[in-house]
Amino acid sequence: MTLSKVVSLAKAVAGVEDGSHVALGGFAITRCVVAAAHELVRDGRRDLQVTQTTGGLDTDLLAGGGCIKRIVGSGGSLDRFGPLHAVNRAVLAGQIQADEYSNLAIALRLHAGALGLPFVPMRSMLGSGLLDTLLEQEDAVRLERDPFTGKPVVALAPLNPDVAFVHVDVADEDGNAVIGGPTWSLREIACAARQTVLLAEEVVAPGALDPDAITIPAPFVTAVVYVPRGAWPTAALGLYDYDTPHLERYVAAAAEGGDAYARYLDEFVYGVDSHDQFLERAGVAV
Amino acid sequence: MMAVSASHEIVGDDVVVVGLGLPQIAALLAKKTHAPGATLVLEIGVTGASSTEPSLGIADPRMWTGAQAFGGMIDVLGLLLHGGRVTLGILGALQVDVAGSINSSQVVLEDGRVRRFRGSGGANDVASLARRVMVVMRHEPRKFKQRVDFLTNPGRLVDGRPRAEAGLPGLGTTVIVTDRAVIDVLEDGLVLRSVHAGEEASAVVADTPVPLEASGAHETPAPTEVELQLIRHELDLHGWYTA
Repeated sequence: MTLSKVVSLAKAVAGVEDGSHVALGGFAITRCVVAAAHELVRDGRRDLQVTQTTGGLDTDLLAGGGCIKRIVGSGGSLDRFGPLHAVNRAVLAGQIQADEYSNLAIALRLHAGALGLPFVPMRSMLGSGLLDTLLEQEDAVRLERDPFTGKPVVALAPLNPDVAFVHVDVADEDGNAVIGGPTWSLREIACAARQTVLLAEEVVAPGALDPDAITIPAPFVTAVVYVPRGAWPTAALGLYDYDTPHLERYVAAAAEGGDAYARYLDEFVYGVDSHDQFLERAGVAV
Repeated sequence: MMAVSASHEIVGDDVVVVGLGLPQIAALLAKKTHAPGATLVLEIGVTGASSTEPSLGIADPRMWTGAQAFGGMIDVLGLLLHGGRVTLGILGALQVDVAGSINSSQVVLEDGRVRRFRGSGGANDVASLARRVMVVMRHEPRKFKQRVDFLTNPGRLVDGRPRAEAGLPGLGTTVIVTDRAVIDVLEDGLVLRSVHAGEEASAVVADTPVPLEASGAHETPAPTEVELQLIRHELDLHGWYTA
């Protein structure tokens, strides 16, 4: 009998301190860890390093809330709804340092972190401006020679975030979790982070899940948070769609910035105490 | 025209990494006409994509319906692409240069300000590792550069040298398909292969402010009725990408 890992969102997010290195599970408009991002913004966290293969609504909310100092990633967007306005504005203003890699480079850095490897070689990014820029600003990337063939390779240092937030369809109380559909770098961030927090749409008793279906096994998981529609207004395959009106409203506010964006945050983030209240205010039945 | 011309570049049993929009429509069109054995993969972790539902991006679950297999980036960009099994990548571009190098990160505006765009995503991986790459973009003079403002994705040459010397496998960008023309990218420059119906080669050259060899240009084969019907009634119902 193990102790249940089920905790409240507030308790799970309390593991993030100012300056922590946080991995976000979202990808553009799907499985963004919106509930966790709102909580971090409300908590007023500052100077976070965010690692994410492709940024999405969760990244933009944290940037807009002034929580981020540095992003290690590979760009991002809200697909056809628009760009990550808050991220782009903060990067151009020099408030956020953005280290831009390719997607595979981020996934491999996390993979190396998860495996405990000292570095991982890769042939992407060779000869690119991405590599030139990273070589100037980062000690985590080196241009090396393959020790066997002598050919150029990129050597990437591992990434081990302090806390990862991952949205899952269902988890058991031990932390075994199922994610339907494509999983981009969700397994990598869950396995590489020192603490992994699952935002679960459903929580079941230990042993209730089919072992064949498990995406993330329990040993990698620190906390399970039951938070229905925790990715809303972004999509979760088979559970709910992205919400077009709300995303359009968000993008309009983020594009305008200033007071318009502050009003959005006041209404939907600072003005509520929980994800349930956010959903209620946004007109969603839970 | 752009979607049809792009689809003609897809052959036989190509394994194709596609992004949202026109690349996806071109690849699905090829699959439904002359290249039924082609396999479409999405960087998010989808293999064997075949959805024709109108979708907003590769993170839109509508794009994953009917897929053959789900996995992650390590599966698609790692095992398939880095492992050498992807024969064709289709990429968009903010700018492309005479070596087929691509900028998808940022452009410097006339007043010197920088405008950021969505960034590499998996595009650099595709340009670095796929056997060959097709660029699909609107034919606007400002998009053709002697040298791109930011080199997100390397083309056929790196610093004027063959890309293999930089350690890159594959050929890089071999063809640029626009709404007006098809341009082959050779190691020694751009060659106008064909112009679409209604276009003059001289006008296309005039709107391409980099050296473009046009002496052998012919007219792009016209879309067939079957191709047009598929695009209008199935692949791009709303005309989001091809209208």
